[in-house]
Order: sequence, then C-alpha cells, then structure tokens
Amino acid sequence: MLPHMDAAYTLARYWTRNEQDAEDIVQDAYLRALRYFDGYRGESPASARAWLLTIVRNTAYTTRKRGRVDALITEFDDTEHSLAAIDDQPAGVEVRHDAKETLGRALDRLAPEFREVIVLRELQGLSYKEIGEVTGGPVGTVMSRLSRARARLQEALREKGER
Amino acid sequence: MTHPGFESQVDALLDGELTADDARELEAHITRCPECARLRDDRLALRAAITAGVPSYRAPDALRERVRTAIAAATSAEMRPMPRPQRGPLGALWRPMALAASLVIVAVGSWNLALRQAQSDRLADAVLASHIRSLMPGHLTDVPSSDQHTVKPWFNGKLDFSPPVHDLAARGYPLLGGRLDYVNGRSVAVLAYGRRQHLINVFVWPAMPGQGNVPDMRDRQGYHLRHWSTPEYTYWVASDLNATELQDFVRQLQQAIRSDA
Repeated sequence: MLPHMDAAYTLARYWTRNEQDAEDIVQDAYLRALRYFDGYRGESPASARAWLLTIVRNTAYTTRKRGRVDALITEFDDTEHSLAAIDDQPAGVEVRHDAKETLGRALDRLAPEFREVIVLRELQGLSYKEIGEVTGGPVGTVMSRLSRARARLQEALREKGER
Repeated sequence: MTHPGFESQVDALLDGELTADDARELEAHITRCPECARLRDDRLALRAAITAGVPSYRAPDALRERVRTAIAAATSAEMRPMPRPQRGPLGALWRPMALAASLVIVAVGSWNLALRQAQSDRLADAVLASHIRSLMPGHLTDVPSSDQHTVKPWFNGKLDFSPPVHDLAARGYPLLGGRLDYVNGRSVAVLAYGRRQHLINVFVWPAMPGQGNVPDMRDRQGYHLRHWSTPEYTYWVASDLNATELQDFVRQLQQAIRSDA
C-alpha cells in the first residue's frame, strides 16, 4: 500500500505532461522518500502528503534541470504560443473544442512553475503556506504565481468564448 | 485592471487566505467596485471550469507495482551486510521498515478517515463559505432582532423544523438575528450572535440518525469552525472570534440547549 500515490502521480503528470516521465518521477520520488525518511518529522496524514509532494516536485524539477525531459517541456511563450496560432482551424471546418479542452491546453502551455501552483491549489487543495513549502518559495511568490496563472487560464477561456 | 494589486488579493480572498479583517475590508470594496466584482465572478467561473475540466489522475496499477518492487529491491540492498560501523544492522533495518510501516499506517488510517473527512470537509467548506457570505453587507440576517421570541417564530413555515433559538446576551453574546441558508443540500437555520466587533454564525439543522456525529473542530485561515450534534440537531459554529472566547460561547450555547431539553 503506497499512500498519496494518486496525488504524487497527478502532480508529476502535470509537471511533465507525459505519462511515462510522470511514472519515472514518481518512482524516483518514492525511492528518495525512502532514503530521506529519517528527515521526516511530520505527524499528520496531511503533512505526510505535503512532504511527499515536495519530494515529487523536487524530483521533477531536478530531472528537468538535468535535461532528461527537457525536450518535452516547452516554456510558455506569448509570441510563439498565442492561442490563435495553435487553435486555428481551416475556415468552415469548425471543430468544436469544449472549454475543457481549451483549459487543458492553456494549462499545458503554462511554465511548470505556474502549472504546479494551479495543480497544488485547485486539485490538491493545499494552502498557500503548504504550496510554498512544496515549491520552496515564499507565500508572496505563491500568491503572485497563482494570480498570473489564473489570469492566463481565464484569458484562454475568454478567447475561446469569443471565437 | 486599474488596480492590479487587487488581483492576487481577490484570489487570496476566494482561496480563504485572507485574515478576517482583510476579507471583510475587501468584500466591502468589491461591493463598491464593479471591476473587482467582475474579477471575482470571473475567478469563480474559472474555478468551476477547472473543477469540471482539469482532472486528477489515478496512479496506474503498473506504476504502483513498479514502485513496490523498486522499494523492495532498495530495501533488500540496504539490508545486505555492509561495513557501516555507525549504523548497526538493526539501524539499517529500522529505516525501511519504519517507512513501510508508517506508509501502511498512514494509508489505512487515512482511508477510513478520508471517507469520513471528505463529507465533513465538504460541510465545513459550505459552512465557511456561508459564514463569509454573511459578512457581506446586508447578508447577515433576514430577521434582525435580538429577541428570541421574534426570531424563532420567524422561521415558522420557512423550514421543516423549528430551530431552537437562545438569547445569550446575558452571557455576553447578544443575538443579532436569524436567516435562512442552504447547506448540505437542505435549508438550514442560521443564528447570528455578536461579540464586540466579531460575528458568530450558528448553523442548525435536524440531526440525521445514523450519521457519524463526531464533534469537529477546525481552524481555517483565521476562522474557527466548531461542530457537534445533539440527538435532535446538528450544530456548526463559524466565527473569527478568538478560539478561547469561541470555546466559551460554544459552552454557553450547549448549556442553554441542555437546559432546554
């Protein structure tokens, strides 16, 4: 029985946007957790989850730094990735993307540092403080990243609504 | 946005990350500022879209198996006798075993808890949301009155039960009034009490027989939630009052309820 694996996998999955890489990262992370367990001081199930997510996040982060999954992660770039450029369909061949798809793509297009705060907050329900612990940054950074990420997603939904 | 700093403040408000005072101040601002009100509505719409459209994933079984195997391999590698004078064989054993044990405990413990808590979490969320809503101007009471004999009859015909109403003014918690709200899939009675500038909302609805009515106590982002049940009613209390005074309030209220029975 391995606890928190769904949470770990979900975070890894959104970090890497790739099932195979996500699995590798989760496996690495659990092995690291085994090694670092001496350093774990939390008591409640909730803090165990945050602790594990921290390791998952750091594993994903260093894996990306090492360049193993670099090819799979394209950073968000306003000019290259305007929604119009990607979503354009030939005239008359109106393929209806629902809001769900639009949102998923907009999320994919965010840099992982922005995507992770959305996942940790909206999907895993972590507090700003916990998110700060997982991502290793101050609460102020969590706040501003979350706001910017949401603004981007909102923009994507709005553009979608206008077309 | 004419005031971009407000964007993350509105987010923090909706995320329940503002202190009670800041939340009230911002809510007051939002009622006067159409731009911020629109931002809030947009954010609420986005949250709904994320809930509906951005899935959490379930770890594949193959992955669980892989990790289990990898942990087992790592564990047995560590248990092989190694020249590690600073860590005896027991020490080497202890670590993986403690991890395995704790993972199992966390898993089993959190499984039952998780089921019960999921329900209770949803309820606490709903109560807290209603409490915060009530802090907005004009939302606190439908029947503003400090007289329990005015408040109690007001609920007649509006609910399928007649909520117990207690005046605790003599104990330092004046009744401010009552209102209807919708929580837990049903209409509930809410009684508002005051303490200095603080508000206390008491949510009451008939207890469901057979439901685990474990008293609950949680603190979220500057608000305190307290929950208990009597055989007749389920109570949730939400307030920004400090925990000690709120505890006192709860005690007074429970006493009044008991002396009723």
